Amino acid sequence: MKLLTCPLNGQRNISEFTYGGEYHPMPDPETASPRQWAEYVFFHDNEAGVVIEWWCHTASSFWFLAERNTITDRVIRTFEASEIFQNRIDFAEPTNGEKK
Amino acid sequence: MQRLPSPYGLLIDRERQIKFSFENKSYQGFAGDSIASALAANNQWLLSRSFKYHRPRGALTMAGQDANTMVQLPSNPNALADKEPLSPGLEVMGQNYSGSLKTDRGALLGLFSRFLPVGFYYKAFFKPRGMWEKWAPLIRKKAGLGVINQQLEPDYYDKQYKFYDVVVVGAGPSGMQAALTAAVDGCEVLLVDENPILGGSLNYSRLDAKGSMAREVRDLLVHDIEANSNITCMTNATVNAWFADNWLPIICQKRLYKVRARQTILCTGALEQQAVFHNNDLPGVMMSSAAQRLIHLYAIRPGKTAVVVTGNDDGYANALDLADAGVEVAAIVDLRDKPRSSPLVRAAKKRGITIKAGYAVYAAQKRGNHLAGVEIRKILSQGICDSQAEKIRCDTVCMAIGYTPTYQLACQAGGQLSYSDKSAMFTLNNLPDGLQIAGSVDSYWELSNCLEEGARAAIIATNALGFTQTDIPEPTAREKHSPNHSWPIFAHPNGKEFVDYDEDLTIADIVNATRDGYEHIQLVKRYSTCGMGPSQGRHSALAAARLVAAATNRTVAETGVTTARPPFAPEHLGHSAGRSFYPARRSNMHYRHIEAGAQMLQAGAWYRPAFYGQATDRDRCIDNEVNNVRNNVGLVDVSTLGGLEVRGPDAAEFLNRFYTFGFVKQPVGRARYALLTNEAGVIIDDGVACRFSEQHYYVTATTGGVDRVYQTMLKWNAQWRLDVDIANVTAAYCGVNIAGPRARQVLARVCTDIDLGAEAFPYMGVRQGTVAGIPARVIRVGFVGELGYEVHVPQQYGEALWDALMEAGGEENIQPFGIEAQRLLRLEKGHIIIGQDTDAMSHPMEVQMGWAVSHKKPFFVGGRTIAELEMKSPTRRLVGFVVNAKNAPIPLESHLVLDGAQMTGRVTSCNHSPTLGKPIGLAYVQPHCAEPGSQIKIKSSGGVMVTADIVTLPFYDSKTLRQEL
Amino acid sequence: MIELTPDKALRRSPLYRRHLQLNAQFEQLGEALVVGAYSDTGMEPRLAISLGLADLSCLPRTGFKGPGAPDWAATQGVEIPSAPNTALAQADGSMVAKLSHQELLIVSGMQGDSGLVDNLNQQIPGTGVYSLPRADSHSWLAVTGLLAAEMFSKICAIDLRTHKFAQGQVAQTSIAKINGIIVRQDLGTTPCFHIFSDIASTEFLWDCLLDAMEEHQGVAIGVAAIRSLDATE
Repeated sequence: MKLLTCPLNGQRNISEFTYGGEYHPMPDPETASPRQWAEYVFFHDNEAGVVIEWWCHTASSFWFLAERNTITDRVIRTFEASEIFQNRIDFAEPTNGEKK
Repeated sequence: MQRLPSPYGLLIDRERQIKFSFENKSYQGFAGDSIASALAANNQWLLSRSFKYHRPRGALTMAGQDANTMVQLPSNPNALADKEPLSPGLEVMGQNYSGSLKTDRGALLGLFSRFLPVGFYYKAFFKPRGMWEKWAPLIRKKAGLGVINQQLEPDYYDKQYKFYDVVVVGAGPSGMQAALTAAVDGCEVLLVDENPILGGSLNYSRLDAKGSMAREVRDLLVHDIEANSNITCMTNATVNAWFADNWLPIICQKRLYKVRARQTILCTGALEQQAVFHNNDLPGVMMSSAAQRLIHLYAIRPGKTAVVVTGNDDGYANALDLADAGVEVAAIVDLRDKPRSSPLVRAAKKRGITIKAGYAVYAAQKRGNHLAGVEIRKILSQGICDSQAEKIRCDTVCMAIGYTPTYQLACQAGGQLSYSDKSAMFTLNNLPDGLQIAGSVDSYWELSNCLEEGARAAIIATNALGFTQTDIPEPTAREKHSPNHSWPIFAHPNGKEFVDYDEDLTIADIVNATRDGYEHIQLVKRYSTCGMGPSQGRHSALAAARLVAAATNRTVAETGVTTARPPFAPEHLGHSAGRSFYPARRSNMHYRHIEAGAQMLQAGAWYRPAFYGQATDRDRCIDNEVNNVRNNVGLVDVSTLGGLEVRGPDAAEFLNRFYTFGFVKQPVGRARYALLTNEAGVIIDDGVACRFSEQHYYVTATTGGVDRVYQTMLKWNAQWRLDVDIANVTAAYCGVNIAGPRARQVLARVCTDIDLGAEAFPYMGVRQGTVAGIPARVIRVGFVGELGYEVHVPQQYGEALWDALMEAGGEENIQPFGIEAQRLLRLEKGHIIIGQDTDAMSHPMEVQMGWAVSHKKPFFVGGRTIAELEMKSPTRRLVGFVVNAKNAPIPLESHLVLDGAQMTGRVTSCNHSPTLGKPIGLAYVQPHCAEPGSQIKIKSSGGVMVTADIVTLPFYDSKTLRQEL
Repeated sequence: MIELTPDKALRRSPLYRRHLQLNAQFEQLGEALVVGAYSDTGMEPRLAISLGLADLSCLPRTGFKGPGAPDWAATQGVEIPSAPNTALAQADGSMVAKLSHQELLIVSGMQGDSGLVDNLNQQIPGTGVYSLPRADSHSWLAVTGLLAAEMFSKICAIDLRTHKFAQGQVAQTSIAKINGIIVRQDLGTTPCFHIFSDIASTEFLWDCLLDAMEEHQGVAIGVAAIRSLDATE
């Protein structure tokens, strides 16, 4: 069984973790074109190479990110989400009072 | 019983005799014997019949590595007789024969073998269509192995985790040296071996002319290992796979150890290979190592007269061992033109043993079921022999023509197997970090080299772990002489030169597979089944690869090798089943349900009461429970419902983003329906958000969904970074819903500090107070469409709350109701169940829940996608239907809605409504059929078409007045 | 005399039926009704040195979470463990485990003295501090004895051997396939592992533990045995 290092709990069997999908920055839901939005929600690159993934240590419900090479299945590093998400995110009020 | 004198017989205890039977005949052996060795001591060499042609077979390796020794034990089919320890009174039978093992009628099949070519089943039985079904039972009966005893008492198998710095697999010279070198201060080492004692080949092989060196070295190493407290030894244990990051399942007796090694050193040794010649499968034909195991481990003389066929010096060592043990060595048949002059060769010559250099054993002859002699011929070129034959009478042939590394674990770890033309051997490379190989698995054969390499592997491991900072020695120089002969394969006009004993495959079968167009070794394997038997190619992979290469004019490297997958050896189902955990969650009121006669069901891990009463009286019990709620008052345990605390300055903002509804303006003291969609706009959960204060929401979620909802909340807020705290308090609260027209008067008896008046505590109000002296959160929801209150209390008060409410409702005849009644009550109200009435595509508009989606907020998960979907015309809608026809079969979940022959939808829920007196249900239908008054056709049980009328939801109390009483 | 029947109290341990089946003798500890001992042979303290299992679910405990939690708790006199996933014994016998940079689990001492827990529960938490209902969300079991780690290796994938899992170390992990928090806080010289896990699964976990302990002759023990170990130095 594979090992994964949780930034909070240290190295554990992969069975202690929940996979949270690849990390992709969300386009602005107000301005993104339908195509861009559909690609964000539905399309996945399935990239052969280094990807960033969400992982959650299930017992402590701690979410973090991992850089993993999908060819070798080697996890290059894991890090706290705050490394990418440093500031509070806010969304603008919809224009015209109604969303498109 | 005939045995050689001590010190022969390393494994047996001559003081302890053991009686057992084979084929209903009594025998005696010693403690420490395997079944096969004890039988050999009684001159019983025939052990089994082969898989396809029912040919007589005996021990080949004496190491449990081949299918020839499979026998039937009372508790266990397919036991390996050369591995299975003897136990008193053991009743052993042969398997896979009709009649008797000695005269198997199935052996007649061998006469028809030319009508059973490779790929025979594919070619013969698949046309015309349906033929295979007729043939299969017959063929399976002929080609079956052992029988499972289904009357057995269950046995207790266990599992255990173990942790070591270094795990060394294989306790031969390299492994023992690796363990000793690795066991530096503080480094915890596990040394595992599948044999009963440490030593590996040192226990049975001969390294020098004198014949004493192996045992002397072994004794020294074993002594040091036993004195070293950092080394744990596990014998009779099989490392059955290599999984990622050195995760090693080790099977030892009735326990599966799940071992995490920080570093692994594989010293798994090498498997001796057979020479391929006519009748090379006769009992009496064996690996040279098997003969040596018989002599040294069990004190058994392999036969009276032996011929050794060899391509290396190990054959000479073997001949010396045989001679020492009193076996007449009729000849050493050396495939090499010119054996090199080594001490072993010289010693054999000195003993006067006939050496036939440049000769092959071309064919073997049998008498009865045993070897009676061989025919040897001069080799002219690769695989081609002279027509002149020389016959030698013998009852034993020992084969010493080379080895294949025990590569399985290394390959599972990602190591690549390649073939070296120079050494005529498979070699391993490209091993991952944290894994070393040493010794004969890495093609080192001389003892000093194996010890050096074992130590070197250990230093690499301890350096990597930080225990040492030693200079890593250079790899030991490769040895000049390979023990492998490049072509110990001799085709015979009458065939029967077995490449794969398990599957009865001969040279022609392998070659014909390539003629049939299968040229890659992977395809040859699947087409011919070569290597797919119990021994998994241990003795067939090398010869098959050479044959395929030659038949297709390529190098062995070009033909490829097959993949080695776990497990290494067959394992009992018990080892996988072993100690298993099936978590069970119980509400604090659990036993009150049992005491009230509930039929419990498990939903996820939770136990929940389905209904109360006899299982045979199910429908009536449920109807009664429904009627009691509609007309009186009922109590249901809702402790399994999810509960999430969302607290902090951004609590409202968080919910506003997470759920579809608006929550910012939700008043304190009120609850609001909360529908959750994912980014694809698909409904994934629902619940109720109760606002207890400006900064405190208590949100419920579905029983099955809460853990995922909680995780998803945390994941979003890891990105949004709102000032909010989210806690999953599902287990911390027990809850009940008290529902029915008389709910208020019952609750009022035990809840005096909350004004329960219809105006003071309206529908969708939430309050905190006490119920029966227990701190409680009270939520007025229309859970089942009647006046009702949900009462949530800290977990350990649950049973006391249940008792108090049941007592308080005594006068009203309050009755508990179960999850079945709850579902029916909710269906009558048209409430959907997420996951039953929704699927992986359902978005809010499809299920008539557009009302629960706010369009006036900046953002919510799924919002953008829902906005896009709203601009498209819907393809289906979830609607309510009733069946008015009398005696029509009630449609069930997943029954199809048909328009003519076309499938246009499906039923998601349907049940007989005791309140309406007819079947009601929900179904996805095409939008043009969705209007109330439309009719749909449902293909119900038995193919009966049922007409259903679409109606407005809810089915019951259409103005929804009762829950607001 | 107080009637020591666990099925009459308002708060009832999820295990009280198991205790009754084992002929437990109950005693009052603070406000809680706990198992004093399962037999009157006086053997439990000695068995507990080898392998014992105790239900402490009725003893007081609480938790706090949020960016302000550690600082606020410190102002209330709590000695805060330095790193996440470590625990610290407090002067009054209670224990504080730090589960993350922002989360504390506080449990009473073996005497059931709830001073610190009560005090914290009665305070209004400061800004950015959120209380957690740990006494109800999590059961509290304690596994004692020299064979505890060996027993755990059958149900938990963490290496809990005493030279690998130090006194005061905390592991949030899976035990018998359910999530839990393991805290090593020895009783005198006897290794002791406290397990805090899903209260709804308490009976399941209790049964799993007793089953895994059988091989090592482990037994259920009452608080009397726990106290006697705690008193040894």
